[in-house]
Amino acid sequence: MSTKNISYAVIRGKVIDTDLVEFGGRGGDLAFQAPDPHKLIGQLPLGNPSKLDDLYQLSFEEILDYLEELGKLLDFQKNAYMQEACELSYLTSPKTPRLVRGAYVSMPAMFERERIKRWCELSVGIRYLEGWVETPINDSIVSIRAYGSRALHIVAGNGPMLGALTLLRGAVTRSDTIIKVPSNDPFTTAAIARTMADFAPDHPVTKHLTVAYWRGGDEKFEQKLYQPHNIEKIMAWGGMASVKHVTKYIQPGLELISLDPKRSASVVGEGALQTDALLRETASRIACDVGVGNQTACSSCRVVYVMSGTDKAGLEKISRLGKLVYEGIMKLPGDLSTKPKRYDPQLKANVDALRMNDDWYEVVGGQDGEGAVIVSHTAEAVEFAEALADRTVNLIPVDTLDEVLAAVDSYTQTVGIFPDDLMPVLRHKMALHGGQRFVSLGYAFTGPGLVGPQDGIEPLRRMCKWIVTERPTSKLKPIWERAEGETALVA
Amino acid sequence: MTIAAPTTAKPPRAGAVLESDASSWMSDPYAYFGMSNTRVHSVPRRDAEAVQLAAMNILLEKRRAEIPVLAKFADAQDIRRIASLDDMAPLLFEHNVYKTYPVSLLAKQRYDQLTQWLGRLTTHDVSGVDVSKCKSIDEWLMTLQAATPLDVATSSGTSGTMSFFPKSKRDYTTSVVGFRVQLAQKFGAEPTHGDLHDKLHMLAPSYRDGHTSSGRFPEYFKKVFCLGDEDYLHVAFPHKISSDLMWLAARLRAAAAKGDVTRVDVPEVLLARRAELERMQKDAPGQQSAFIARVAKELTGKRVFAMGTSPMFYDVARRGLAEGARNKFGPGSILMGGGGHKGMVMPEGWQNDCLEFFGLERMLMGYGMTEMNSFSITCEHGHYHLLPWVTLFILDLDTGKPKPRSGTQTGRAGFFDMTHDGTWGGILTGDQITVDWDTPCPCGRTSVAIKPTIQRVSELQGGDDKISCAATPAAQAEALDYLTSFEL
Repeated sequence: MSTKNISYAVIRGKVIDTDLVEFGGRGGDLAFQAPDPHKLIGQLPLGNPSKLDDLYQLSFEEILDYLEELGKLLDFQKNAYMQEACELSYLTSPKTPRLVRGAYVSMPAMFERERIKRWCELSVGIRYLEGWVETPINDSIVSIRAYGSRALHIVAGNGPMLGALTLLRGAVTRSDTIIKVPSNDPFTTAAIARTMADFAPDHPVTKHLTVAYWRGGDEKFEQKLYQPHNIEKIMAWGGMASVKHVTKYIQPGLELISLDPKRSASVVGEGALQTDALLRETASRIACDVGVGNQTACSSCRVVYVMSGTDKAGLEKISRLGKLVYEGIMKLPGDLSTKPKRYDPQLKANVDALRMNDDWYEVVGGQDGEGAVIVSHTAEAVEFAEALADRTVNLIPVDTLDEVLAAVDSYTQTVGIFPDDLMPVLRHKMALHGGQRFVSLGYAFTGPGLVGPQDGIEPLRRMCKWIVTERPTSKLKPIWERAEGETALVA
Repeated sequence: MTIAAPTTAKPPRAGAVLESDASSWMSDPYAYFGMSNTRVHSVPRRDAEAVQLAAMNILLEKRRAEIPVLAKFADAQDIRRIASLDDMAPLLFEHNVYKTYPVSLLAKQRYDQLTQWLGRLTTHDVSGVDVSKCKSIDEWLMTLQAATPLDVATSSGTSGTMSFFPKSKRDYTTSVVGFRVQLAQKFGAEPTHGDLHDKLHMLAPSYRDGHTSSGRFPEYFKKVFCLGDEDYLHVAFPHKISSDLMWLAARLRAAAAKGDVTRVDVPEVLLARRAELERMQKDAPGQQSAFIARVAKELTGKRVFAMGTSPMFYDVARRGLAEGARNKFGPGSILMGGGGHKGMVMPEGWQNDCLEFFGLERMLMGYGMTEMNSFSITCEHGHYHLLPWVTLFILDLDTGKPKPRSGTQTGRAGFFDMTHDGTWGGILTGDQITVDWDTPCPCGRTSVAIKPTIQRVSELQGGDDKISCAATPAAQAEALDYLTSFEL
């Protein structure tokens, strides 16, 4: 059998490339081979939870030693597994080769020791990951520790770094991690796992990572694996179908951590439109949040509410802004944004239809599949706003701040805001409506990273099992010494 | 001119004869062919394509003057005349163009602005129509219907918008005459007197009236099939389905999917009608049962033409069989399903259930859409045969460029239907189709045969197992499906 296009399974340090069966290849997609998941299924779960104990024999610093070393080994120039996976990912990723390669080259930075420490400290508190944290309270001593869990991760495929992020989350929480790779990124995570198997095959972190591909929706397979005796948590990324599909396996003892599909929007206040210089800066900021990564992420901006007003002067201003945004997108550096791999034909149909009817919309660009700016002439988004992609953004003029609230709903992840003085008011109002992350416009992709909450939850904390120990202090009188009527039983 | 190599010795027609043929095909195609189904489907492809090209140039010139959006579109691409059929591909309208108005115009009942918008898409002058008193979509569409040759057709999508397609009364009549010619007559035989002139029973398992094309068809069925006799028209729901309610339902669905129904931007007068919507929904099963019982009793042994979407028929058949009802339609009866699955997967054996309930041997399928007058109906080999005055374009999904008119080709379907009266006849669909251009269909028809594997392009995308954290409408459509499956 040909050894090309293999999505390797890596089970606890053992690389598997036998019993290959073919997947994918529909509608011009790359066909790839992966070990028959039905033959692997018995080896995927950890089995006895006591086996997690080896992770607890390590200090947090020792785990960081491992991750730091792994980060160095992922150096793209030197790692043949990563190079091979990168080449193959060009064919499966929604991103263009240049952007995929950029993500591979950047990957070691995610494993930087101090970066991981800052993130864990903010998100959970390292002392909770490292041991029992004692607090005196209500005449008792409460000790709390964050334990890892046996978790299955259904990872999204719109960015090659998501497998690495998952692996890091598993390691720092001392979890047993099974990663189901997606068909649009079936190679990257296995390449990292192969690197781990080479350099430390018997290390507990290696022993608690499993990477495999199976077809999402293969019920015969999933029914067997997705059981509380095998796993305690399923973290499912995006794709309404994939998340909804997983819910049918959820039962007591098996928890779903859902990172639902999200969209992002931006808000531009009047203050950002006052001078030509400000208008240009605003346009550059919008262009970054739209164009970086080719708008494939959930944090990519897709609609922008602009407080230009809807009168003639306002429409002229937003029209000018639209042209500047288009120029800004076209000028983004090639390692951050390129002409999209394949401009969605349905989207093109929609954009072209608006172009034909210019009473209510102005379309800038978009003839050549390079991306487009659609400027609405009324205070409403285009009918296909949810399908905006491939560097296509809709600018919407509004008269009042209240109309801006239309920008958010429970599917909203990031809201970029400019000028910054709008932040305090907007984040409060929008948080009530579903907005989950507020950034200064233009910084959707260059902030602190995924260091804390994501999609309105704290994934790292959710991955943990929070265990509590309670000890009485001498001040707490035991019940057996109390008289009738002396005890108030409260929760 | 790129025209397929001659298959017969007869030279292709040219010049004035061609133009005269084109004019006849455009204005009354069935009359040109003596109302004969056999003759309609026996035109050599080369001849049909020559007439099509002539008609396209006539129409391009005429419609540019009448339809502002077309003029702008053609100007932008600098197209005045075309030399080959494929040259028309860039001038096909995206079907989405019929909903390129801001949704707020409906919510704010700005029917004046909507009329203005519609006026840019139709051949008929709507500028003088007084719509100032219209308080609802229904009133607006009825006002246009009364004052102009138009009979605007609506359809609603999952996002809560409604498209308005400026069909004319003549367009509807062309469609329905086409049904009668193609369904009543056996291919290969000349039409009988009865085929042409009998009063026929028409069964439509849906609403008596409405502004969607399926809602509006019964009115035209009554004229063309039932020769005006209401007793020959059999519908499941005796009332008109309100466009305003359909729009409200679509908006509520879209809002519910977003988690905030309170934000629905719908006038109070419409919100007040929610109870009506719910009542109609509640009454529907009872009315459908009564319809089934009536049909089984009254139509046994009669020659019946039954037309509707496949899910509608299946629903009736399933219910009927469960209630122990059976029909035995008379000889020459036809059951035609089709379209409108709207993402619904039909259960296995659904056709058998339909045939069993209606007591028929074979079920026909029709392929067509609101945006096209001419429907294609399946032959004995399951192919959808295009009418000779319809030009098919198979476009590459990615580039949008036409694929060659030879070999077996699969791609996005575009059509140019020269019979269109209300608007431009060129339309790009959301369907992927396959045609074998070189192999004549064994059924004997010379017309272009579309293979039965028609799929929505949107359903093809997304693939097996691609996961992205960025939300897409396809993701949300799933949640909406249960509501769209029943066309309220």
